[in-house]
Amino acid sequence: MIRIAQERRSPARREEVGVQSRDVRDCSEGMLKRELQRAGPETGVPRSVLAGERARTARAMLADCRLCAHDCGVNRLAGETGLCHAGAEARFFCAQIEVSDELELIPTFAVALSGCDLRCDFCITGTSSWNPRAGAGFDAPTMAAKARAALQNGARTIMVLGGEPNIHLPVALEFVSLLPETAKLIWKTNAHGSAPARELLEGMFDVWLVDFKFGNDACAQWLAKTPDYVRVVEENLLWADDHSELIVRHLLMPGHVECCWKPVAEWLAENLPGVKVNLRSGFWPAWQAARHTELRRTVSRPESAQAVDLAQRLGLNLVP
Amino acid sequence: MKKHHAKKGCASPGKNQVSELLILPDGQILVHNLTPVFAGLLHELNPDDEHISSRVTRHMSPRL
Repeated sequence: MIRIAQERRSPARREEVGVQSRDVRDCSEGMLKRELQRAGPETGVPRSVLAGERARTARAMLADCRLCAHDCGVNRLAGETGLCHAGAEARFFCAQIEVSDELELIPTFAVALSGCDLRCDFCITGTSSWNPRAGAGFDAPTMAAKARAALQNGARTIMVLGGEPNIHLPVALEFVSLLPETAKLIWKTNAHGSAPARELLEGMFDVWLVDFKFGNDACAQWLAKTPDYVRVVEENLLWADDHSELIVRHLLMPGHVECCWKPVAEWLAENLPGVKVNLRSGFWPAWQAARHTELRRTVSRPESAQAVDLAQRLGLNLVP
Repeated sequence: MKKHHAKKGCASPGKNQVSELLILPDGQILVHNLTPVFAGLLHELNPDDEHISSRVTRHMSPRL
């Protein structure tokens, strides 16, 4: 057996986070969502044009960087760095066609930007994800040419990921501005972005592919050195569900079914019923996972079975 | 077939394709960054594995 490794709503909760209720889940196609995404004063403006404008806005925001929930406020344009250590320029450590993501998204041309704002000890790409200086310099026109070639070669989607792509929002948007309007674009994120970052992302990506890693703040702090994790991710998930197609991933971690998967599953069932959920059981003890006793192994079959059983009892919409 | 190597991430991004495998004692294989070429190889090794067969793309060149 081969497993792929990592990788309806509560109105009251939505009001809490400023998300307007808008039920488009039942639309037969994504077209209406796309139209809704572009509603307002910018209606009719091509995505590529909007993306170009927003890329410039995003770059200016690096002077007081608050793209993620760490809210560092450093001037990346002047060489200062915050918790992610990213500067003003972006690098990438991988760009290739892959088939390990959700079946409805593959083959995808996946572009992995270097650097991340989380510090997950079990990160499967380790140094490349953590280190914003890893890999090669990202040139948006060059990468866009590769992406177009991939589409012509049979890729169904284009995926921007990391590390965490949100910390490189300016170049991610510049990349989008150079892609065909018809390309289906995937934003694979840890959902630790800020509200200003979300505003710039509205209407840019067709699918948000979100990792909901931890079910409580203690595990997030212990394993990823990230405070206030659950609130931030839930806020981003509710927003993403209202503004794009959404697929939520959870990577099962050994010893964390009860503390992490269970609360994640229960929250999804209550707040995003029907949302697509990809429960991934292919954890392997990568990078610095050995620092944590329970993460020195893979997920056991009983743990996987328990997790799937919980998902089924809660009525989650599991997707392969 | 393009070269696949075990180093974490693309050593020279854009030049090589990278898939990573972890083979467990019970015979399970965990895969990360699965490329079409490697999916094809795994499919040849075990055509009955549904997880891989659903990911095999037959009409895609490995080159961009």
